[in-house]
Amino acid sequence: MSEAETNESTEVAGAVAVKPGRHKEATLHEALAGAGAGDGRTLAQLREAALRAYESLELPVWRRSGFWSTSLTSLHLDALEVRHHASEPARPLPEIVAATLPDRPRAGRIVQLDGSVVHVELDPELAARGVVLCPLEQAATDHAETFAQWYSKRLTLDRNKLEAANAAFWTGGAFLHIPQGVVIEDPFEIVYAIDRAGVAQYGRTLIVGESGSDFRVHEYELGGDFEGQALHAGAFEMYLRDGARCRLAQVQDWGAGAGEVYDVSTRTVIVGRDAYCHWLPALLGGHLVSPHMELAVTEPGGDMGFRGIFFTEKEEHLDAFAVDLHETGPSGGDVHWRGAATGASRASFEGLIKIEPGAQQTHTYLQIHTMMLSPKARLDAIPSVLVSADDVSASHGGTVGELDEDLVFYMQSRGLDRATAVRVIVEGFFEPLLAELRDEPLEELIRGKLAAKLAAAEQDIETYAASR
Amino acid sequence: MADLHITNLHVRTEDREILKGVNLAIDKGEVHALMGPNGSGKSTLANTLLGHPAYEITEGQIVFKGQDITEAEPHERAKAGLFLAFQYPVSIPGVSVANFLRMAMNAKRDEPINVKEFRNELQHAIDLLDVDRSFTSRHLNEGFSGGEKKRAEILQMAMLAPDVAILDETDSGLDIDALRTVAEGVQRLHDEQGLGALIITHYQRILHYIKPQFVHIMLEGRIVLEGGVELVERLEREGYDSIRQEFGAHV
Ligand SMILES: Nc1ncnc2c1ncn2[C@@H]1O[C@H](COP(=O)(O)OP(=O)(O)OP(=O)(O)O)[C@@H](O)[C@H]1O
Ligand SMILES: [Mg+2]
Repeated sequence: MSEAETNESTEVAGAVAVKPGRHKEATLHEALAGAGAGDGRTLAQLREAALRAYESLELPVWRRSGFWSTSLTSLHLDALEVRHHASEPARPLPEIVAATLPDRPRAGRIVQLDGSVVHVELDPELAARGVVLCPLEQAATDHAETFAQWYSKRLTLDRNKLEAANAAFWTGGAFLHIPQGVVIEDPFEIVYAIDRAGVAQYGRTLIVGESGSDFRVHEYELGGDFEGQALHAGAFEMYLRDGARCRLAQVQDWGAGAGEVYDVSTRTVIVGRDAYCHWLPALLGGHLVSPHMELAVTEPGGDMGFRGIFFTEKEEHLDAFAVDLHETGPSGGDVHWRGAATGASRASFEGLIKIEPGAQQTHTYLQIHTMMLSPKARLDAIPSVLVSADDVSASHGGTVGELDEDLVFYMQSRGLDRATAVRVIVEGFFEPLLAELRDEPLEELIRGKLAAKLAAAEQDIETYAASR
Repeated sequence: MADLHITNLHVRTEDREILKGVNLAIDKGEVHALMGPNGSGKSTLANTLLGHPAYEITEGQIVFKGQDITEAEPHERAKAGLFLAFQYPVSIPGVSVANFLRMAMNAKRDEPINVKEFRNELQHAIDLLDVDRSFTSRHLNEGFSGGEKKRAEILQMAMLAPDVAILDETDSGLDIDALRTVAEGVQRLHDEQGLGALIITHYQRILHYIKPQFVHIMLEGRIVLEGGVELVERLEREGYDSIRQEFGAHV
């Protein structure tokens, strides 16, 4: 690849290394000041507090370094509404869901369309072993104790208007509870779909993996083919207790058609003692997408692999923030993101390693690789490292690349046409992460989506090649 | 007309003319050697023959198997049966040798090759070139040693079975054993499949294993001298200086 390398190593000895980044937003951990929103308050009280925040806040405009911003002011929030669907047992899956999700064995599936959960299924054998998969609304009453213990424990409710909207207005939602020691190979699928304009979807997911559990979660956010604005303001929290393991993947594709889906979401995964999480969000499109993703080790021995893919096209705007947070040590972290941009899209990825005081013997690494595929696209990758412990290693590196014409020529000289060569190069660029999913149907799904996006951008890539 | 017929080829890059009227004809089953000092334009010729976009053909013609391919896309030339073993093969992250080979073979065919047939052909090529089986599951050229890259080039050549192959300094960077394996591999493809080859090299040693019928000497963008293997011997003895004096192309 024609690329520039950036490498920085912070072998810290009693020093604090600060890299420029989005410190003003800080981490959820900081915003919570150690205590979750779910600090004994009831759901009603939390909704009430969130409502007050919602009413007092304006739609956010985030000014970023480099003279650009992520502004939600173009969102006509008043024109959107939470649409509900009556639950009918025989209701077919929403079209976009049926068309997208792979046909494969699964442990369970929950589908929310617009404001309502329209489909829940759970392997009866797992249900018999105590696994719970149901709408979060239902969990608030049917599983009140667990709900009260974990709900919003590590999520904030007032950092911005849309976060407050979620905390105040969420409907439907997903609740997954894996009992102690239960090991499940097939994934649970959690789906949020929007299939028409004018919808505000406040999705909310709570997952608890009890000690020694081992499971997979595939989360999907899908947009159908429609014209006009829609909103997904999501909140996701997962708690992995002692020795629990989860492979979490997320496929977000709100569609690059005429629909303008705004997605402002917060996700956090809390890794407990000797627990492990492998988390891979694939952010594949949306009109304006601004996720805050935080993977935090909160107890000794926790380990994580934080992977991510993004691909923006056309006029899309992505403003992603990923945090690798270590509250205690020993702990491990390994963050690896890859992104590409075509069209006139704008993608910014900020990755932050944050090691809290006392998180000794933490070893973590952050790498970000990007590939520009269009002259009009803009792509930023901003790594930051904030270390407040002295017996740790934290470093970051990455590459910034463009489509390498020598690579294209090499493949063409072997008989592949140009479009295929480009596809193979871009797939190869993402391949190290896709292969890590260790899930054939999911890998194929993401490969297929990437291929379709590249095919749509062929002309663009051609122009770019000619211009250089 | 020969299978590959190059007439009065002039090629320039953005800033200057590099090839200044090259004529060359190669038939299937013939082995040609092309020698010349650094920077004389050998790789430029090789890349131009496959249609590299950095090189602009300002004059002349390339005809391959009766078709004018001067303007053809690189992949069309490949599909027609031309092959280039690169002097500096690039690496393709995330794509295994085997997968890449399968894609390249399928590009040439109407129906995708079936798994068994592919495996057989791959095994055949692996045996021919004496490479380790694990080689084919590695990402193409990524972290390959110089010698491994050259072997991977010839492995691809064996699989794609071109009519005419250009080997751009495939011998450079190979140890003596690897050189013999690779050279014998090329010789076998020549014997078995009637491969025509243009071997670009600086050294006599590869020509001990593959006997060229024709030797061409390139100087400053032109082929100035042609003959048989005796030319190689003369070069070894006298170097390029005497040839330069004789043909003294001055820029
Ligand atoms: N893409 C390019 N852009 C600019 N100049 C080029 C380019 N390719 C080749 N050249 C120049 O053209 C001349 C011929 O280069 P070429 O690589 O063809 O030489 P060569 O005969 O293969 O040399 P060597 O024996 O060192 O491999 C050199 O001066 C080189 O710098
Ligand atoms: Mg050369």
